[in-house]
Parts: sequence; C-alpha cells; structure tokens
Amino acid sequence: MKKISIDPITRLEGHGKIEIFLNDQGDVENAYFQVPELRGFEVFCLGRPVEELPRIVPRICGV
Amino acid sequence: MGKLKFALYWGAACGGCDVAVVDTHEKLLDIVAAADILFWPVAMDFKYHDVEEMADQHIDICLFNGAVRNSENEHIAHLLRQKSKVMVAFGACAQLGGIPGLANEKRGKEILDYVYHGSPSTISPKEVYPQEVVSVSGVELKLPRFYETVMALDQVVEVDYYVPGCPPESARILEVVQAIVTGNLPPKGSVVGALDKALCDTCPRKREEKKVKAFYRPHEILFDLERCFLEQGLICLGPATRGGCSDPPRCIRSNMPCRGCYGPPPDVTDQGVKMMSAIGSIIDSQDPEKIEQIIHGIADPLGTFYRFGLPASALRKKRFL
Repeated sequence: MKKISIDPITRLEGHGKIEIFLNDQGDVENAYFQVPELRGFEVFCLGRPVEELPRIVPRICGV
Repeated sequence: MGKLKFALYWGAACGGCDVAVVDTHEKLLDIVAAADILFWPVAMDFKYHDVEEMADQHIDICLFNGAVRNSENEHIAHLLRQKSKVMVAFGACAQLGGIPGLANEKRGKEILDYVYHGSPSTISPKEVYPQEVVSVSGVELKLPRFYETVMALDQVVEVDYYVPGCPPESARILEVVQAIVTGNLPPKGSVVGALDKALCDTCPRKREEKKVKAFYRPHEILFDLERCFLEQGLICLGPATRGGCSDPPRCIRSNMPCRGCYGPPPDVTDQGVKMMSAIGSIIDSQDPEKIEQIIHGIADPLGTFYRFGLPASALRKKRFL
C-alpha cells in the first residue's frame, strides 16, 4: 500500500501531519490527520492564582 | 557574499515567537532581502524531508523556538542542529523551557491521565490514550513519545546564542538579525537581543524604601501607580529578570508587575533563587515567625518565580518521592 506523508502540515498554528494510504488502483483507501503535540495547560493551570491566568493562557496559542 | 540561509522552527510552542518575527512588519522584507528562508512551518510550505535532504551545515542560522516536550521536538532539534552552522534558542521556551515548562511540576503520565481521562470535559469510556504506534485498517500510525518532563533546547543540543522573551520583542529581533547579517555577533553562548542588566535598572517607577511588611495579590490593595511594585508588596520579577524587552519595560508600562519572561539577568543561573534572595532582603522583620507569615502571603511561589524557566532552573522539575 502506497503512503503519502504530509509532515508537517504548514502555514497554520500548531503541529500536525497527514498520512494518506493508496490502494493498488492508486485510489485513496484511508487518510489520517494526526496531532503530534500536547503541552498540558489543562493540568498546569490548575491551582494557579486566577489573576495570573491572563498571563499564562495566551501561550496556548500566540497566533 | 550570497544570501544567508535561515530556518525557523517551533517545538512545544504557541506560535507567538513566529508572530513576533512577522510583527517586524515591512522590515520583514529587509530580512528576506538579506536571507533566504529554507524552512518555516507556520509561514512556508517546506517539509521535514526537505530538511533531511540538505547537506550538513547547509543552513546558516536556525532560530528555534519552543520547548522540547516530546520525541518529535527532540528529533527535529537534532536534525536542525546537524543542518545548521548556528543554532539560536529563540524565545523563553527554547531558552528556559517557558510556560510549557510549568508542566514539570507534574509527571508526564499525570498530564496524560487528566487530559485524556480525568478532566470534567473529557468523556472517554474506552479510556483511549495516545499511543506511539497504533495499527488501524492494516496500516501503522506513529505519534511522538510524550516525555516525562519538558526540556530547554540546550538540554538536548548545543546552542550558540539565546534570544530571550515571551515572545522576543520585534524591535530586538531586528537588532539580532542585523547583528547576524553584519557578522557582528558576540561570543558563542551569549544572550542577544536584550540588555546586560536587570530589568529593575531600566524601570521608571519611583523607589523609596524597600521594607515590606506584607505581600498582596492585586485585588487586596489599592496601589500607587507610580511607585515600585515590590516596595508596595506586589511581587514583581524585576530584580531577577534581564532588562531590554522595551524601554520602559513593556509590562511595567501597562501597570503590570514583571513576570520574568526575559529570563535571569547576567551572571544569574537560577531566576527563582535570585528572586527569593531579593525578597529575603526586603522583608521588614527580624522575627522568624513574622517572616514566615509574610512569606506565606506570596501566592504560588513556584509558578511565579519560575513562570518561564522551571526546566532550566536548578530544580528542573518537581521531585517525586
């Protein structure tokens, strides 16, 4: 099965890759969009003083 | 001389460093006039295989922003190091670990558990976690390994220069590019695009007497808009932070105390220790019990003193017993 990798996907904010698998006829059998990133803001924001969050969470996405 | 070859990359990052480059506005045209950009995922359509196919040291300067959070970040850091003559840790995450480095107060597994299972907004009856390798419909898919801890760039590859800031100020970026283009760079290992003094030394606020009887959160007092934050008991990282973000310092100008994104000042390796030392010298008491009471008024010392630099600090991460 032939594989086409688009890695990384570009011109957007964040990390991603797309893998496209072709069958013997050369048609698309399956395509997968993958997000190879996690930083964990959900966890390390917990317990922080609320007045500090406006200076932490903008770094989720700076674009 | 031919045009310089630049690469820009992001590890565990928010894209703010890339936007800071774009925020040079029309001066970006001057950068492009002096340099060809061979790799810049946020803005240009080059792939990892394009970098892999380059000869070693083909790139003159790589501006690497973002921390090292997973195996892909580390792999690309090694790849770009091999392909670049000069590697620059660009921005607080690459220099020190940055905001994503706050995750070092947890284990990697705790983060995965909360995000993929425990959080109130997650419904995952099959308890699905990201796998490094997964087989679906007869094909194999791979994801990077999520590391136990976040690392700064120089904890995985050799770094030649550091550009501090979260993000680096655009005006400073232009100065750095100018220094690169004219070959006017300081010795390797230097911090560029900032001053060689503490932020306090550039602060326009009035200083009277540093004798603090209590620390406050901003909603707990009405504070003087002209006077030093620290003297009023509001934690400001000015004494423990490198100056040079802007003049006057940008957060101070907005009536916000400094949070330390430009990293430790010259000759200081651990920003939090420097800050604790500064606090120790301003507490107005000789009574151990009273001192302890005053210190307890500081909300979230770890997340404040090491807001941008836990991975690069002497602590590096929380110790788990």
